[in-house]
Amino acid sequence: MTTKTGLFDRSLALFDEVARIQGMPSDAEVEGLLRVLPPDVGHNLSHFFAPHIRPAGLPFLGALRSWLAQALEAREQGRKVILVPFNFPPELIMAFDNAVGLTSEVLTTVAAVGLQGGGERYWDRMMALGLPDHICSANSVELGAVLGGDFPPDAILSAAPGGCDANSKIHEFVSHRLDIPQFVLEQPVDDSPEGHELYRRYFRTLIHQLEDYLDEELTEDKLRRVLSGANRCAELYWELFELTALRPCPVPGLFNLFLAPLRFCMWGTPAAIEVMETMVAVARRRAADGVYTAPEERARVLWAYTSYYFDLPGLYGFMEQRGYSFLSDVLDLYAPSPFDLRSYDSMVDGMVAASWDYPMNRQMAAPSMSRAWTLDVAHWCRELSADCVVFCGHDACKQTWSVISILREELMRRAGIPLLVLHGDSWMKTTTPMSAIQGGLDEFINGVVRQRRSGRRRVRRRLSDRGGAGR
Amino acid sequence: MERLRALTRDVIPEPVRAFRAEGGRVVGYSCLTTPVEILDAAGLLPLRLRALGRAETDLADARLSRFNCSFCRALLQLGLDGTYDVLDGLIASNGCDQLRGMYENWQYAHESAFFHYLKVPHIHTADAREYLELELRRYRDAVAAFAGVTLGDEELAEALARQVRIRALLRKLSALREQDPPRLSGTEALIAVCAEGCLRPADYEALLRQELRDLATRPPLPRPRARLLLGGAATDEIDLLADIEGLGGLVVADTMCFGARAFWRHPEDGEDRDPIAVLAEQLLTSTLCPRMIEQFDDRLAFVQDSVQRAQADGVLLVHNKFCDVHGIDNALLRLTLEERGVPVLALEKEYGALGDRARIRTRVQALLERIGGPR
Repeated sequence: MTTKTGLFDRSLALFDEVARIQGMPSDAEVEGLLRVLPPDVGHNLSHFFAPHIRPAGLPFLGALRSWLAQALEAREQGRKVILVPFNFPPELIMAFDNAVGLTSEVLTTVAAVGLQGGGERYWDRMMALGLPDHICSANSVELGAVLGGDFPPDAILSAAPGGCDANSKIHEFVSHRLDIPQFVLEQPVDDSPEGHELYRRYFRTLIHQLEDYLDEELTEDKLRRVLSGANRCAELYWELFELTALRPCPVPGLFNLFLAPLRFCMWGTPAAIEVMETMVAVARRRAADGVYTAPEERARVLWAYTSYYFDLPGLYGFMEQRGYSFLSDVLDLYAPSPFDLRSYDSMVDGMVAASWDYPMNRQMAAPSMSRAWTLDVAHWCRELSADCVVFCGHDACKQTWSVISILREELMRRAGIPLLVLHGDSWMKTTTPMSAIQGGLDEFINGVVRQRRSGRRRVRRRLSDRGGAGR
Repeated sequence: MERLRALTRDVIPEPVRAFRAEGGRVVGYSCLTTPVEILDAAGLLPLRLRALGRAETDLADARLSRFNCSFCRALLQLGLDGTYDVLDGLIASNGCDQLRGMYENWQYAHESAFFHYLKVPHIHTADAREYLELELRRYRDAVAAFAGVTLGDEELAEALARQVRIRALLRKLSALREQDPPRLSGTEALIAVCAEGCLRPADYEALLRQELRDLATRPPLPRPRARLLLGGAATDEIDLLADIEGLGGLVVADTMCFGARAFWRHPEDGEDRDPIAVLAEQLLTSTLCPRMIEQFDDRLAFVQDSVQRAQADGVLLVHNKFCDVHGIDNALLRLTLEERGVPVLALEKEYGALGDRARIRTRVQALLERIGGPR
């Protein structure tokens, strides 16, 4: 037996272990499993097996295992493995028979959650190459792994130009170092009809480039096969969204962490549909039973961009215990529309529209980052009845950092919603300890959000005393 | 050289104030993706935004963050503290994410009467070029409306021709430092480029001609300890270059945007062609900026050709902390050049930070020792 040192192999080995579990495990069985895992991995996985999450957590981990196993199988069959980014509809790659997509940010998240020591050892490889320490760990952990020889892709697809310099440049770097083809989908920073038309052309050019590279035609039938499943996922997404809007929020915070990889890696697959159906069923049952994770829902929190993924009980578990509902982060606010399956053109145009509206593309590649971001966050706050917004302050997100002060001011001015600016790396624990993040959330919610709420109540009471309330 | 140097002593030099006092209008820009030809043709003074090493960023830090590059923060500081109140308008472009954020904050806190955002693609394809031509026409029309003029092809062609002549003069000037022994220092070459954004192009052209005549009779500089190529992020830090050269490493060539990227690879002439098409081609092929994706080989060739032509002994690549575009490109350049036997120092720094100079000197000294040569 050889030692597994790569991110891909180690992740697959972990999921293989979890897959040994037959049926829904008892608490004792869960405890047994967690004890044989390294402490930090066991700590993170414990949240997947929390009683209210377990019914969806187990199939979710199984879906991730299938996703990785499928890539392994594809490689053995001589199909191309294409590293794709999170801000791109995976349906396009899934529609090709000769290719399989691996989403780099999701692999990094798997490492942060499920590998001993997180993804730091792969990050260190990037630093050893002389890359600056302000690049984005979301990509660089997985890319550090592939540069070290771990399951190297045959090609890389970058959809970052226009929305994120850090990712654009690191994709280019890896493509050069591995000497593999790079496919580029630029997002025009222009939402005029001309900007949309340019994007539509870019997307169609990308399809032709992939067809040439894979020596395969993308047919209407192949697209329809993938996109019909995607439409089922979209339905389930909106069911879950409506449940999230309920007070108290019946959707466990960790389900947000499930939604992102389902969208970014396996949207429309039977595995994704099964997980989403389970998530909806769990949330619906909790809503019907009036169950909440704390005695009181003290705050409804929307995350303005990413959140933190290196300590799940430390963030999601902590928030649940405190009565702070994790409504969503922007990564999950992709607002899927059903694809029009009538023709090749309608399906491609649907993917173009979906890609345009992807998180980061929609906000950061807009003509005005601050305006697009503010409008979106204010909209989602309204839809989900958020009391407050948290910006996690991922170091590498220079574009969000560069307009966060405008978002904070505009959100307060337009919607009266306070925003907390934290700082920490979303995928690596070495930047900010979770205890500091928890302390920041407590201070903000107790000192600002709750005070404002009780202040509003006092004002309403005073108005009521004067006969002016309710208008 | 003293006339050029005088133009770089102040962020807003006297000729800019005088131009405005006479009723002229001044429009600021910061990135090479801004075609100054259109501003020039409209009778405006295109003032390239500089911070000249000013590291104070207290006002800017309240808007941007410490995770944003200090050059952008320094520019925003000057936008917020009133230094740039002399501007009648601003042209923003998507040179990089942080520059975009800088402009958004500037506009948000201190709105300009005239503001135009020029969107330049990051890839060079037929679709991108067609879009950029459309975008440049929007830009031309916005500038013309602001200036109250009509901008036809004739006016544009004249402005384009002037820039072609200016670039040729800058190449001549730059070649003086490539000689052995050199007749010009890297610091002086940087001064010459920084001065460009302070004058009407016609005045700058005349001044450059005069400088070149004077330099023709100048005695050569002493042979340096090492001949360096300087590459990397936008910097107008004249003192930083003087510091490096004070250690014996003469910057005989550069690939900076306050430097050779502004004048090296641009087409020789654009006669008989649609001026907008010429500008679009320039922006997509000639800026040699790492903001462009899929052009790394071009940038590498630019560096290597410059190293050979100027007989550089080593390469110094700088980027400001948190600059992804250059930070990552510099890492790839360093790895590739070193694999080909070129000594490289990739140096991360803060813009204008005087307190960091000792560390920078130590690093540069280490590069010089690695290269060897007379002390």
